[in-house]
Amino acid sequence: MDKTKITGRVAYHDPCNYGRKSEELFGHGFYEEPRWILDQCVSEWVSLHPDKGTQYCCGGGGGTLQTPYKEERFIYGRKKIEQIRQSDAQMVVLPCHSCHGQIKALLEENHMNHIPVKYLWEVVADTLIVDAD
Amino acid sequence: MTIKKEAPLRPVQSVTDLCHTCGSCSAICPLTGAKGFNPRKIVYMAIQERDQEIIDSPWPWICTMCGRCEHACPMGINIVNVIRTARGMVDRKNVPLMLQKGIELGLETGNNLGLPDEDFKFIIEDVASELADQPGFESFQVPFDKKGANLLHTLHNKLVNTQNEDLVHWWKIFHVAGEDWTIPSRNWEGVNWGYFSGDDEVMKVFVGRIVEHMEQFEIKNLMYPE
Ligand code: SF4
Ligand code: SF4
Repeated sequence: MDKTKITGRVAYHDPCNYGRKSEELFGHGFYEEPRWILDQCVSEWVSLHPDKGTQYCCGGGGGTLQTPYKEERFIYGRKKIEQIRQSDAQMVVLPCHSCHGQIKALLEENHMNHIPVKYLWEVVADTLIVDAD
Repeated sequence: MTIKKEAPLRPVQSVTDLCHTCGSCSAICPLTGAKGFNPRKIVYMAIQERDQEIIDSPWPWICTMCGRCEHACPMGINIVNVIRTARGMVDRKNVPLMLQKGIELGLETGNNLGLPDEDFKFIIEDVASELADQPGFESFQVPFDKKGANLLHTLHNKLVNTQNEDLVHWWKIFHVAGEDWTIPSRNWEGVNWGYFSGDDEVMKVFVGRIVEHMEQFEIKNLMYPE
């Protein structure tokens, strides 16, 4: 992995399903695994706060992205936007398709689309050192 | 059949003894106040068997079932289960249209977009050939329906639809790591909207298809994107 490829501070968002809900339903919340992966790929990252079991949902989970309640999704997302502002990050990283769509829409709505949203596996792919085939 | 009976709050004699209306759930829910919603109200209404009011409201569909409220509940009331049970009791024709359509197409065609299998294969191979133009990935190919592969990879439909550029991330990792993986050429949908719509029967059909792939291709590990 090449840790110099991504510069600037990265903020990590814990999705409900991999964390709190997985912990409740299957007895294991995936909190440490993504953090270990970030350690390998980027030099400076923080968690959005609060994190892990007490994190806030992005506001797009549970199929709500497939409903017409856009305004409610933006109301829901105020907390997430506030967290992102406080983190002072230049990029948001997360491992969930719903969070990705919702947080992108939130950043756009709040005129913060200079902050890119990346999948955790995208960060891995982007920082891979690729040898000749 | 009422929500109270269908979504039994954790095993106790009387549900009404449980919620002491402390409001912790409502205090922590980011949605409290939106469209007059708050989780304490939902629990209270379910206890009072005012199901129809919940079912007819937009509330079950604006809650993201994130579980933050029940994590805060001192009485361990499983509020998410109350919400999902309410979703399941909504007349199917009143389920948000996009979910309805996706489910209908998913059941019929094997993916929520209703994309024909030939078109799916075309899109995947097209994106794969673009990746193979990059240095280090010259020999890259997408292995469809590979028997005995180590990993079955299903796809989120949006990657095949409007976000093709996000297909390649996993492929790059697989290629560099030398992973032995495969994707199904039909019934490839990796999102289960039966879960969202509260319909267990639909959910089982979608899960069953993945189980079928695993058995047919003799694969032990599943990578499920949602
Ligand atoms: S599960 Fe629903 S009610 Fe509970 S905190 Fe999340 S959005 Fe609010
Ligand atoms: S947190 Fe639990 S006990 Fe308190 S009001 Fe909500 S459901 Fe009732």
